[in-house]
Amino acid sequence: MLNILIPLLLAVSLVLGAVGAFRRIAMWRRGRPSPVNIMKGLASIPRRYLVDLHHVVERDKYIAHTHVATAGGFVASMVLAIIVHGFDLASGILGWLLLAFTAIMFVGSVLVYRRRINPPARLSKGAFQRLPKSLIAFSLGMFLTTLPAVGLMPENAGSWVFALVLVVLVAWGLSELVFGMTWGGPMKHAFAGALHLGFHRRQERFGGGRSTGLKPLDLDDRTAPLGVIKPEEFTWNQRLGFDACVQCGRCEAVCPAFAAGQPLNPKKLIQDMVAGMTTGTDAKYAGSHYPGQSGEHQIGSGGVLVARKGEALVDPDTLWSCTTCRACVEECPMMIEHVDAVVDMRRHLTLEYGDTPGKGADVLDNLIATDNPGGFSPTSRMNWAADLELPLIKDRERTEVLLWLGDGVFDMRNQRTLRALIKVLRAARVDFAVLGNDERDSGDLARRLGDEATFQSLAKRNIATLAKHQFDCIVTCDPHSFHVLKNEYGDFGGHYTVYHHSGYLDRLIGADRLSFAPAMPGTVTYHDPCYLGRYNGEYEAPRAVLKALGLNVNEMVRSGYRSRCCGGGGGAPVVDVPGKQRIPDMRMDDIRETGAEIVAVGCPQCTAMLEGVVEPRPQIKDIAELVADALTDRPDPRHKADQQEPLEVIA
Amino acid sequence: MSLPRKNPRLEWIARNRLHPDHAQVMAEQGASASPSQWMGPAGLVRRDPHRIGSIGPNGIKRIDRSGLLSSQAAASPGRQAKSEPQKPLVTIDEPAFIIAVVPDMAGGELTSHDRDVLGMARQLADADPARQGAVLAVVFGSHRETRFEHAGVDRLLHLGDERLEGYSPERRLGQLEALEREYSPERWVFPDSQLGGAELGRRLSVRLRERPATQVWQLLSRDNEWACECRGARERSDIVRTLPRCILALEECAEPVSETRHEVRAVELEGSVPEAMIRIDNLGQVAVDPASVALGEAEFILSGGNGIKNWDRFHHAAVQLRAAEGASRVAVDNGFMPRERQVGATGTWVSARVYIAVGISGAIQHLQGIERCNKVVAINRDMGCDMVKRADLAVIGDAEEILEALVALIDQKRTEEARHEAA
Amino acid sequence: MKRHESMASGSSGLSVAVLVSTGRHSLTGRPGRADQDARAVELALNVENSHIRLFHAGEPGEECREALRGYLGMGIDSISLIEQSADADVSAALEEILRESKPGLVLTGTQAEQGEGSGLLPYMLAESLGWSLIAGLVSIESIEGNQATILQALPRGQRRRLKVRLPAIATVDESAARARQSAFGPAQRGRIDTISHDSSTDEALAGLSIKAARVRPKRLKIVKSKSARDRFKAAAAKSEGGAGQVLSEVSAQEGAEAIFKLLQDENVLSI
Repeated sequence: MLNILIPLLLAVSLVLGAVGAFRRIAMWRRGRPSPVNIMKGLASIPRRYLVDLHHVVERDKYIAHTHVATAGGFVASMVLAIIVHGFDLASGILGWLLLAFTAIMFVGSVLVYRRRINPPARLSKGAFQRLPKSLIAFSLGMFLTTLPAVGLMPENAGSWVFALVLVVLVAWGLSELVFGMTWGGPMKHAFAGALHLGFHRRQERFGGGRSTGLKPLDLDDRTAPLGVIKPEEFTWNQRLGFDACVQCGRCEAVCPAFAAGQPLNPKKLIQDMVAGMTTGTDAKYAGSHYPGQSGEHQIGSGGVLVARKGEALVDPDTLWSCTTCRACVEECPMMIEHVDAVVDMRRHLTLEYGDTPGKGADVLDNLIATDNPGGFSPTSRMNWAADLELPLIKDRERTEVLLWLGDGVFDMRNQRTLRALIKVLRAARVDFAVLGNDERDSGDLARRLGDEATFQSLAKRNIATLAKHQFDCIVTCDPHSFHVLKNEYGDFGGHYTVYHHSGYLDRLIGADRLSFAPAMPGTVTYHDPCYLGRYNGEYEAPRAVLKALGLNVNEMVRSGYRSRCCGGGGGAPVVDVPGKQRIPDMRMDDIRETGAEIVAVGCPQCTAMLEGVVEPRPQIKDIAELVADALTDRPDPRHKADQQEPLEVIA
Repeated sequence: MSLPRKNPRLEWIARNRLHPDHAQVMAEQGASASPSQWMGPAGLVRRDPHRIGSIGPNGIKRIDRSGLLSSQAAASPGRQAKSEPQKPLVTIDEPAFIIAVVPDMAGGELTSHDRDVLGMARQLADADPARQGAVLAVVFGSHRETRFEHAGVDRLLHLGDERLEGYSPERRLGQLEALEREYSPERWVFPDSQLGGAELGRRLSVRLRERPATQVWQLLSRDNEWACECRGARERSDIVRTLPRCILALEECAEPVSETRHEVRAVELEGSVPEAMIRIDNLGQVAVDPASVALGEAEFILSGGNGIKNWDRFHHAAVQLRAAEGASRVAVDNGFMPRERQVGATGTWVSARVYIAVGISGAIQHLQGIERCNKVVAINRDMGCDMVKRADLAVIGDAEEILEALVALIDQKRTEEARHEAA
Repeated sequence: MKRHESMASGSSGLSVAVLVSTGRHSLTGRPGRADQDARAVELALNVENSHIRLFHAGEPGEECREALRGYLGMGIDSISLIEQSADADVSAALEEILRESKPGLVLTGTQAEQGEGSGLLPYMLAESLGWSLIAGLVSIESIEGNQATILQALPRGQRRRLKVRLPAIATVDESAARARQSAFGPAQRGRIDTISHDSSTDEALAGLSIKAARVRPKRLKIVKSKSARDRFKAAAAKSEGGAGQVLSEVSAQEGAEAIFKLLQDENVLSI
């Protein structure tokens, strides 16, 4: 009986799986077009699965081993099962192999089961609680079914009851693992995930590459939607990516907004995108909700994901809570791009509705009218440096370094950092110049707030300004400008060599152009800015500079690619969504844990956010300030003005 | 510790009572002692008999060496008020022309803006001694102004009709038209103010088909002809033009009259004024919560920070002071105040005339945000904090006690004022 | 567009015309919405069951269109651009348009951000059309028949309630509710309909010399005193801006009195 039933079951599940696959693919394809190379994409899947994806999964050793055993066991046993049972080729080694792989899979499944007994909060429950049982059913059923095939058990052993139990086990397993994979069960992550690896929107991310710049909108095409409000307005491979989510909740665990009690949970957000594409309700979602929210949510009238008034799947505040720190993207084993989705929907809210909350509208108006978020006169950009006699690039034929000052010129705290950096550059006799009043905001803030139009206007004008001058590289002490200049201006024709000041100082030190007095005693920790670290992979240079100063860095638990955001990115301080606590306070607790007296930073936003924490707290110093403090070189007497310590601005 | 240093020049000036800088030097040295007594170069105490003592009841100077009377004398300023010099009275019987001024009379008194505008009218009337003009002020409804004579008013048209009381631009316009018919003033001058002058002046100009000069901030005299400089395009441009008949002038457009007194001769309208068509009903002033006034526009801000423990009392004080409420970032982060009330570079930049910072230590971003405030008052426990360094007036002590005392003081003045008004 | 369903059901609702000008940013002079005019549009959008039309009279250049897009971005379908020469007196053209379109309420800013900015235009229109004029409108409380109850701005955030007969022309004060954000999408899609109209040249304009605003000199404190010593002391007095006065170890009462005196000197206490 089994000889007939098992192959039949296999065939039925494969057919059903194939039907489901077509339907699922058709559903993804309802999104906007995004050109991909199908053959190349498919061919790249195994390598990306085994290398790139596993690299992320491996950060959690337990689940990595479990996954290897379960997934590897399943794939191998499924293939073998088709051969052994489907084509009845049980003879020889194949049957034994099948037996071995089902056994491995069984072990993996039991481990999964154990994980699910008392799962951490970040894991979704619901259908995922069923999955380990299904895995056990399949592996056990297939194991027992294969025993007669290899002759370990007599054919027709046991009663018909035993056979029936086996059939039920195998059927259960197959339904979950084969056609459940394409019909929306928990195993869909394997099907969608594999394809997502091949057809990812950011192909550059694989093979050790990096792709973090936002994708531009075509504003000249009047028919193209501005951002996303309906699920169909995502590109089809974004939709595919959402469907790949396995609800492991690693994003939830690292999200600073979630931890601060702001109404954002990246996992729930992705599941809401899936709900938008499929059932239109989050009733089946069984993980943590957005903090402060509960109950069921339906897709809004007209099929919108975010409602202006009334309720929809996603609340605008959820989108505005995101600091675009990319911690979720960095942690996601399925390589899902949460930040892209958030910014896509923000774009619609800002460009179509004009609903940028908080001080967002003011900031955008200022950027449009004055090219800086504070609404200061663009002719007053250099007022802070009146005594520094900074060389202007327009007076120079060419210069080695174009120093991009950023909007920090209007902020008294950041002026101290800039003064320190200039002191260091002069000490190293770097040939540098500044744009002066011709500089504009880089557009970072406008773009993260969804105002692509203002971003592109600023970007194009900045690129036109930069095209007029000759320089070897740009150095900036603002990682946000750094990221935008380096990674996002390229789409508009601006290609530059850009250094964050920590990177450039590291080079200067390497070239032996700076010398330092022995370090003062004291403990230091270093806070990685998101836009320097996760966005640009620069973890080493700042640490190398601190080391060159003779400082020992007490690392925080969350550092490097796991650094926690200061709460200052993505326009979050501008829209200011309330939560239970503040992100910078949480970060300051991380810093205090190290016992450091000084926290070194490399970003004006981080400085502002961390200095906003009520004292007593460790001192916050930019890397440039630490370097300037340690300098022993006598600067060129011509620049006597900078020898003075930065003036305390308030007398 | 620095060595004591002598400044022979200053010592010489201090000895020489006839030196023009003597008083100044004495005042400076007097930081430690009274100017009538100082430490001489030889270390002896020197006294200046001309500076001590007081005028006795019979007009003879008395020097009281026992020191009993001197403290009393200093405390009675009444004598000084009496000696205010009498200004000369100017009367103009036959004016060559009339300059009509319509002051706002907010609260029934001339505002400082009104005085400036009257000063400007005075300039226009007195420019040519051969052709002396008179300033006629038009006052609607009841008033309690007693110092018209010091403000440069030659003629006063007081229209006491109770229907002209309060906001009644249409009826007032009818009266001004009647004035135009009877006196045909050479010029009409209004304060360009939200208190009513801006509206009434424009209404009259349009009715008279005169193109007015608005937002005039100074008079210019070119080639024996009057011109004026006006603000245009919302403060972005200056417009120079010949002076038209109707003038709406800004605050500080001219110095108020101070040297002379004027006659304030009462005049009346002879003819009857036709009943104006009334399309606007005044339903009266509305109580506005001062805390709701937008921070960026507020003139007077009471701002609270980490040092405040009892926020109800703070809110109460803000209501009593009629000040807009502000807060430091910490107070907002801790949830005591809404985000839109945050003052500073990361919140709202404010430009208040007076900014009272209560229990705010003064983070750099906060100080940056109050840069444009005219006067900053700090109430703080910590004398060394940056806010105290920035403040024009700092009071060190318990914030809540001081606020409470301030509220009590204002309450007291208000009741006194109310009694005055009733009287 | 979704916001103006009332347009279709139109005839019964109040017809509101908003006269908008091209604004200039106060620091950079870049064209954009004029702040007060944008507040006027915001007020109009909040009138229930209303039919809104926007008019701009002026020279139809690229800068003008760019500025007008700022209003379209508030969710307005179209603006009527009445073509006028650069030196025209637009009051005649606007008067004619308003006479034809017969709105119940006309809203506009108190002062333009460029040109003379005398704020006279609404007065001229009200006078020649014979309509009511409201100066310094802050909010519209209710509209019943041909009566509107509104709030008028007074200094220091104070308000006065007025009942006004319609049709009326109102100048909107800068303390009115701030205008909603102008969104890129609707701004690009909205229409600017041009209406050609004869221009009557503003002759007086040639007589004005207009230049960038200077900083007004601070009024000098003139000290009049018979005593030379007092005059000298006043002249030699330390200029402001030095370290402030610090009162430590005083009673709360004394501290309060010092503050009270400062408040009175600065004239911010309304007693």
